[in-house]
Amino acid sequence: MELFIQVLVSGLLLGGVYALLSVGLTLIFGVVRIINFAHGELMMMAMYLTYWLCQAHQIDPYLSVIIVAPALFLVGMGVQRFIIQPIFDSSALMKIFVTVGLFIALQNLALMLFKADFRTIQTSYAMSTLEVGGISISVPRLIAFCFALVLLGGLFMLLKLTLVGKAMRAVAENRVVAELMGIRVQRLYLITFGLGSAMTGIAGALLLPFTYVFPTVGAIYTLLAFVVVVLGGLGNMAGAFLGGLFIGLIESISGVYISPALKEAVYFVIFILTLLVRPQGLFGVGKGTEEVGLK
Amino acid sequence: MKQRHLLMALAAGLLVLPIFYSAPYFLHLVIMIFFYIALTEAWNILALCGKVSLGHAAFFGLAAYTSAILCIKKGVTPWIGLFPALLVTFIGAAALAIPLLRLRGPMFTLASIAFAEVLRRVAMVWRDLTAGAEGLTIPFVPGWQNLTFTTKIPYYYIFLILAAGSVYIVHRLYYSATGHHLRAIASDEEAAQALGINTQKTQLIALFWSAGITGLLGVFYTQYVYMIEPEWAFSSALFCLQPALNGIIGGLGTVWGPVIGSVLMTPLGEYLRSYLGALQQGLNFFVYGLVLIGVVMVLPGGIVSPLLSLFKRWTPSKAPALDQGGKVR
Repeated sequence: MELFIQVLVSGLLLGGVYALLSVGLTLIFGVVRIINFAHGELMMMAMYLTYWLCQAHQIDPYLSVIIVAPALFLVGMGVQRFIIQPIFDSSALMKIFVTVGLFIALQNLALMLFKADFRTIQTSYAMSTLEVGGISISVPRLIAFCFALVLLGGLFMLLKLTLVGKAMRAVAENRVVAELMGIRVQRLYLITFGLGSAMTGIAGALLLPFTYVFPTVGAIYTLLAFVVVVLGGLGNMAGAFLGGLFIGLIESISGVYISPALKEAVYFVIFILTLLVRPQGLFGVGKGTEEVGLK
Repeated sequence: MKQRHLLMALAAGLLVLPIFYSAPYFLHLVIMIFFYIALTEAWNILALCGKVSLGHAAFFGLAAYTSAILCIKKGVTPWIGLFPALLVTFIGAAALAIPLLRLRGPMFTLASIAFAEVLRRVAMVWRDLTAGAEGLTIPFVPGWQNLTFTTKIPYYYIFLILAAGSVYIVHRLYYSATGHHLRAIASDEEAAQALGINTQKTQLIALFWSAGITGLLGVFYTQYVYMIEPEWAFSSALFCLQPALNGIIGGLGTVWGPVIGSVLMTPLGEYLRSYLGALQQGLNFFVYGLVLIGVVMVLPGGIVSPLLSLFKRWTPSKAPALDQGGKVR
């Protein structure tokens, strides 16, 4: 029983970071309406950046967020401006190929720069734990979880209270009407893509102290983010958050009770099952999901 | 009928080619071109109805493992082993059929990636059967029975037949009623259904042809390389992304696009792999990714359509024998 609670806690903490990654994806999907196959690669870039900052400049991974987040914001804007925007009106197939091309290019760029090694960073607190009632809580996971919660809270406030946030929700609701109301949609897409990428990047920086980064890591996180997003209901922010926690739990439980090597296989199976049995997700979909293949 | 003469001349040339020039490296390159023509044509069948699969490595790996395990552990010749291999592939296809029928666009693509990924991980973990990451080695007993040879010439002809056969199958399919239905589904699934096309049955036909050819290639290609391991058999780069890349560069949803794409991309790939890959690991695929982005932006119909207009200018035949390179929406 104690083991089970232990597994639950550690899964939940991990799930917070997954929620952050998936909310980044949901934001981009909900507003820009593009399925970005290179989403995990954005996270991979952030992880390598964090790694490099730590190794070459001894910057603490949590501190490095102030560099990683703006950097990823710019990368995201660049992707939107130079890769997505030119093909925005072409068919869904073309969008798949462009983002798949981006995914291949970035993955292999990482292979060129960092080789195929598994890398992580050594911090003084990487192994430290807190004991609460017989349950030990990993400190880096706890920090990551709290960090993620604060950021998610911030994002929700941004969407609810600020003008930019309201404009984003308006575009997500109806692009054409939003444009008629004077919202500069193209510019908003840039901001949204940047913001979603920055969230994803922060998730990468938070994960690095207790996971590894390697060139193909992005593909796993892309699928993971989509598992979460589909589970939570495509385009549904709160759903993405709950879905993230849920997948964290699943990963943790299957890692202990089935096999660590099969934990990804388990949630891919859940992914396929969700698509089949309840494609609208556990918490209902947002707008516009029929465009990308959920009837 | 000029085009038919051209095809016959090409076939005759390919049949006698190894007699005149049979340097192993050259033959290997041509075998790889044939392999990718067949694989891209198989992948293309599903693209005809507008569905992009990035999970075809699943079919390849399932068939390859079935026949390899039967060959190694039970001594079953691949000629017999290919039947259970195809059976297992079709079971896999039946599993992928559900997302195929229920999802469209990027969501089907994602489900197909996850499908191949699950199988790869299972192959890694199921050590009793697959020996995990160490892989299995096909015993080297030269002869037709074991499909292993001391020269590359038999494989040249095997893959020539597979390539020609798959082009023929896609050609027949393309101009059949099913082919028209597939293209109707690609342009508008609801409209196709409203016109009375059985869209589910049509897509299943496409899926099973596509999976079957891919599985067959898995059986023969594994015998050709003598060994099998999960990272290779379920490799998304080799068996999912490469045919997709060949297909889009040649021209999506056309009969000859995959041929042109494979003929162009395979030597380029081998060149990039041996020169750029040696220079810097990953550089070759980095270039590939950029090529893919560039082609989609500059030539979204692939290079078949501009080539075809040139071809038609040179050969003023009225027969509309070749298809238009196309928009698949």
